[in-house]
Amino acid sequence: MSLDYAKNDWYAVADIFCLKDGPRQTRLLGTDLTVTGPADTATVTDAEGNRYPAQLRFDHVWTTLGDAPRTLFEIPQGDEPGRRRVPCGVVRVRCSPLRAVENFLDIAHFPFVHTDILGSEPQTEVRPYNVEIRDETDEVWATQVKFFQPQAARSAGDGIITEYDYRVPAPTTAVLYKTCPPKPEAQDVIAIFVQPVSETECDVWPWMALYDDESTFSEMVQFQHEIFVQDRSILENQRPVKLPLDPRMEIPMRADLTSVAYRRWLKKHGAFYGALTEDA
Amino acid sequence: MPSMPVGLTRDLPAGRVMHAEVDEVDVVVWRAANGEIAAWNNRCPHRGMALSHGFVRGNSLACLYHGWHYERSGRCSYIPAHPDLEPPATIHATKYAIAEEGGVIWVAIDGDASGSENDLDPLRSMIVDASEETLLTAASATALGGGLPDAGPEGQFSFGADVVRLLCNALGENRTQVTVLASPALPVPRRRALSRWCEAMRRLAEKGGAS
Repeated sequence: MSLDYAKNDWYAVADIFCLKDGPRQTRLLGTDLTVTGPADTATVTDAEGNRYPAQLRFDHVWTTLGDAPRTLFEIPQGDEPGRRRVPCGVVRVRCSPLRAVENFLDIAHFPFVHTDILGSEPQTEVRPYNVEIRDETDEVWATQVKFFQPQAARSAGDGIITEYDYRVPAPTTAVLYKTCPPKPEAQDVIAIFVQPVSETECDVWPWMALYDDESTFSEMVQFQHEIFVQDRSILENQRPVKLPLDPRMEIPMRADLTSVAYRRWLKKHGAFYGALTEDA
Repeated sequence: MPSMPVGLTRDLPAGRVMHAEVDEVDVVVWRAANGEIAAWNNRCPHRGMALSHGFVRGNSLACLYHGWHYERSGRCSYIPAHPDLEPPATIHATKYAIAEEGGVIWVAIDGDASGSENDLDPLRSMIVDASEETLLTAASATALGGGLPDAGPEGQFSFGADVVRLLCNALGENRTQVTVLASPALPVPRRRALSRWCEAMRRLAEKGGAS
């Protein structure tokens, strides 16, 4: 584990809604925290009364425990006019925060885990796509990922070939950009902000910025929630619980190139909180 | 390591998958459409998913996560993300020895699997929150129709001519899977009475034994 590295990232610890009912008692990287609203001037303190920085971004309150935090990434599309921004609440998952991110980057499971929603047999093939670690931003990107989906979003009717771009701007955040059914020239944005409670437990905050004028807010949250609960049934049954970085422990195929790049990128940074390293 | 009893044949029909634990190893046990049975380490070599959540397709077990198929030999035979690819022979589940004898499924983590011979009938399978020792002590102290059983070797308990055998498989320190056999061809009311005796034995064992 590498707590020192993890401490200098920012993490979502509340959304704009959950603080309305009072402070949120939570845990981040093993440290008990209290997050007190309102969200735009939230305070984050630990049990000894130490105060940590807080900022409101992407409809969530973000904090960091480190002395030299890295800059919080941007999601510029989120601010575009006409998009609806949807913080989807929180889902507690008993898994490594890194396994939660890796699952979000994976499309090959759609027909089996999100059957008849994000995928369906026999359309299971994952075609070649591009993966790179972008030097200028130091982010993992997978582009031109295409997959047949029976119901890609609440706003999608019949099945379509959905095109995705995936982005990992921080070890516990993944963002995807996908075909937007009612507005083909634009891309919907869906992200998960993973709050590492410990190395083997996390709170996942899904967030969306969509062009969708039809669905109600609660329908959109419900759709995302249903997807994530299906993912949870996988994530809580993977062994080892921590993400193995030794390539011999889990065998990847071509469809897993995003995951391969993600694991390499974690290794390069020493971002080992939630990972199983060779010498572990 | 010795073979351990992990359940009754009749509880695992064709197409069924179950989870077992043997010598602290997580095991998946499944039966193909053709009736053949297999026991493997409960982990898909691809992304570590528990194969006991998977599903049987014909004579293969498919992982729930990405649908990778494994034949009874353990070899991966199909990867849905790459339908035209012949999976490399190096991708395979870790196999354990398995045997079925006398209506009981036996698994060995090391070496060959074999059951103990018996001419008994399967009665039931249960999990008790107690050690094997506590459980057998409780069995000796549990009466049936006013009489205590005569305790014999190998988990055998006799009520006159009728015999019950408790096959124990330790699940951690204080949990035991019990596969219960009984004398052959007993009338249904007698089998029910013996099954109720098992329940009483479980309650006593979970209270801490006979004391």
